[in-house]
Amino acid sequence: MKLSTYNFLTSMAIKGVKVGYPLKLTINKKDVIESEFNPVFIERLLPKLDWSAVYGAAQVAELAEDIPAAQPENIAEDEQLLQRLHHLLFEIDVLEGQLECPETGRIFPIADGIPNMLLNEDEV
Amino acid sequence: MHVEQKVNKAKKAEKKQRRCLAIIKADCNVSQSDSPTLYLAILNVGLSNGLNEEALLAAAAATGGQVSQVLMLPSKSYCFLACTTLNDSQLVYQGMHNRATIGQQGAVAYLSYVLQLPKDIEENGWQQSLPNGLVLLPNFVNETEEAALLQAVAVVGPGSASTADTNLKHRHVKHFGYEFLYGSNNVDPLQPLEQPIPTACDFLWQRLACCEAPALDTPDQLTVNEYEPGQGIPPHVDTHSAFVDPILSLSLQSDVVMDFRRGQEFVHVLLPRRSLLVMSGESRYDWTHGIKPKHIDVIPTPAGSLTTQSRTKRTSLTFRRLRRGPCDCQYPTLCDTRQTTAPRAVTDELATHASHLEQQNVHEVYDKIANHFSDTRHTPWPQVAEFLNSFEPHSVLLDVGCGNGKYLGCNPQLLAIGCDRSLGLLGVSNARARNVFRCDCLQLPVRSGSIDGCISIAVIHHLASGERRLTALRELSRVLRPGGRALVYVWAKDQRRNDNKSAYLRQNKAVNKQRTTEQAQRQKLAQQLERMELDQQQLQVPVPLPVHTNRTEFQQQDVYVPWKTKDEQRTTFLRYYHVFEDQELERLVSQVEDIVLRRSYYDQGNHCVIFEKMPQ
Repeated sequence: MKLSTYNFLTSMAIKGVKVGYPLKLTINKKDVIESEFNPVFIERLLPKLDWSAVYGAAQVAELAEDIPAAQPENIAEDEQLLQRLHHLLFEIDVLEGQLECPETGRIFPIADGIPNMLLNEDEV
Repeated sequence: MHVEQKVNKAKKAEKKQRRCLAIIKADCNVSQSDSPTLYLAILNVGLSNGLNEEALLAAAAATGGQVSQVLMLPSKSYCFLACTTLNDSQLVYQGMHNRATIGQQGAVAYLSYVLQLPKDIEENGWQQSLPNGLVLLPNFVNETEEAALLQAVAVVGPGSASTADTNLKHRHVKHFGYEFLYGSNNVDPLQPLEQPIPTACDFLWQRLACCEAPALDTPDQLTVNEYEPGQGIPPHVDTHSAFVDPILSLSLQSDVVMDFRRGQEFVHVLLPRRSLLVMSGESRYDWTHGIKPKHIDVIPTPAGSLTTQSRTKRTSLTFRRLRRGPCDCQYPTLCDTRQTTAPRAVTDELATHASHLEQQNVHEVYDKIANHFSDTRHTPWPQVAEFLNSFEPHSVLLDVGCGNGKYLGCNPQLLAIGCDRSLGLLGVSNARARNVFRCDCLQLPVRSGSIDGCISIAVIHHLASGERRLTALRELSRVLRPGGRALVYVWAKDQRRNDNKSAYLRQNKAVNKQRTTEQAQRQKLAQQLERMELDQQQLQVPVPLPVHTNRTEFQQQDVYVPWKTKDEQRTTFLRYYHVFEDQELERLVSQVEDIVLRRSYYDQGNHCVIFEKMPQ
């Protein structure tokens, strides 16, 4: 799972959960797959992402120093930051780990790079 | 013509005959005879290349030889004749072989003596007993009464408003009492015609009461059919819910052969002029009947052989009584009442067992067939690719039910995320995309209003109730941002548009060649259902549903579609599908709040919609 995908995931489908976001991420095993950096792509994508989850992911991925806690203004001019965001969102591949619902503590395991967000019938 | 050319031509013809004889030997185990026999094979012309019985009999008659039996086999380019004497068969052979131009575009026929007729097919429709419940009463009316009846039904001339008078494509019909509506194959009991059954017919009921025929309520509907020679009526069953039992048919002016059929069984019945046919019970409800459009009938002789008889103009009077309510017969196969009420029961049962059914007959199956399934899914459908390319670069795409992920890389300028229920398929797609997750399409674990575009291709037809299919659409709508668009594909029940078969049907090599009437299809379906009921006890599927025959048209909306694995075991898995009727997807979309239907279309056997999320 790339961390760009993580940014969109929520546990709100669980019965009683109000927001279910951001999920608490744990990374046990990860891989880094280099990919071509496209600053325009990152910049245009940012409005669609939730910065708190971008920052949260950076902390778990031990890249907290690279990513500020709040989204800076004029980010388009900061190519270095865009490069770091590219690395965080598109080059890190979480192979093993888990996602945890912030409200219920329900664990969603990540195995072989695939988060299992499937809920049991009695949970929804 | 040069001698050399002549020799070549003769050699060619000989070669062709040898080839034909080899085919016939292989097909029916019928061997050639060097000396004359009673049996002749027409080697190169048959039903499959346009020969009809009539043309064949006319050509044989021109030789002066008497033919006693004709055997035309469906979808074969050869056929057989039988004669009663060797003299006859020799006359036919000499007169027709390499002479009779009954082939395509006037090609000559090649004949050969054969040792016997094909064994399996030799049994013909004349050697069977009549269907149960069928009674034929010859000489039911005399010639004076025949003339009076014809006059009575002719009193109201064409164009009059008081009877329904129609020229059908293949015959002329007129109705009394109630009009039989050919569009719906039914009558409207609330709209009686001004002209009831003529009183001149009343003596028939009294006479019938004296015969050993089933009890009868006085008919209130009469259809008069006028058949010119060469005209007929396609095989049909009189709509169960329209008329009670029995149905009476009086033949006037000419004999004709009527064919009764039930599944593989068929029986010819000669209806003599002035005879009354009473169809009741099994023969009325479970057999179809029809008249072939021919000029000449093949009929049995008193001696037991067959001969031919030319038709003349025939008028039939069919007397029926309206049912006014659902049919209560014991013969479900051709029963319209059963066909319309059964699906409702299935729908209820499906809704009750929906999640169990989807688990067993969708999710588990896809996990098991994932690799093989993925190998068969590589080319993106052009109109889906077009939709994906209609988004601005940097848009976020969610593919719900991404399968092997073939659409995730389709437009590399998008951030494409995929999800699926099947871990097996996700394994394949993750190897490509690395941004997939596992979930159910009824609960997408995705932020509301975060997605620019959704696609869901061939997914929600796996959901086993209307409510669940609607929930899946609502989930797509929920994750879309205002202005975001979704494309949904579902499998269509109707696999043809404007006479064009879908790609799915076109891949059928064998089944579609056999042209079957709707009745025959229903018969086949009923047999399948019976077979399935047995199989299902072993398979323990959650809901008994018919198993669809692949590459054929769908007979029902809720079916199991078999998937046969390519490995040595050739295991068959049953996938549940709900195939969509025309407009059904649009109706579902109209129930989803905050979206607007932008486009709906039909694409290769799929119903497709594009909808857009409205600003809130």
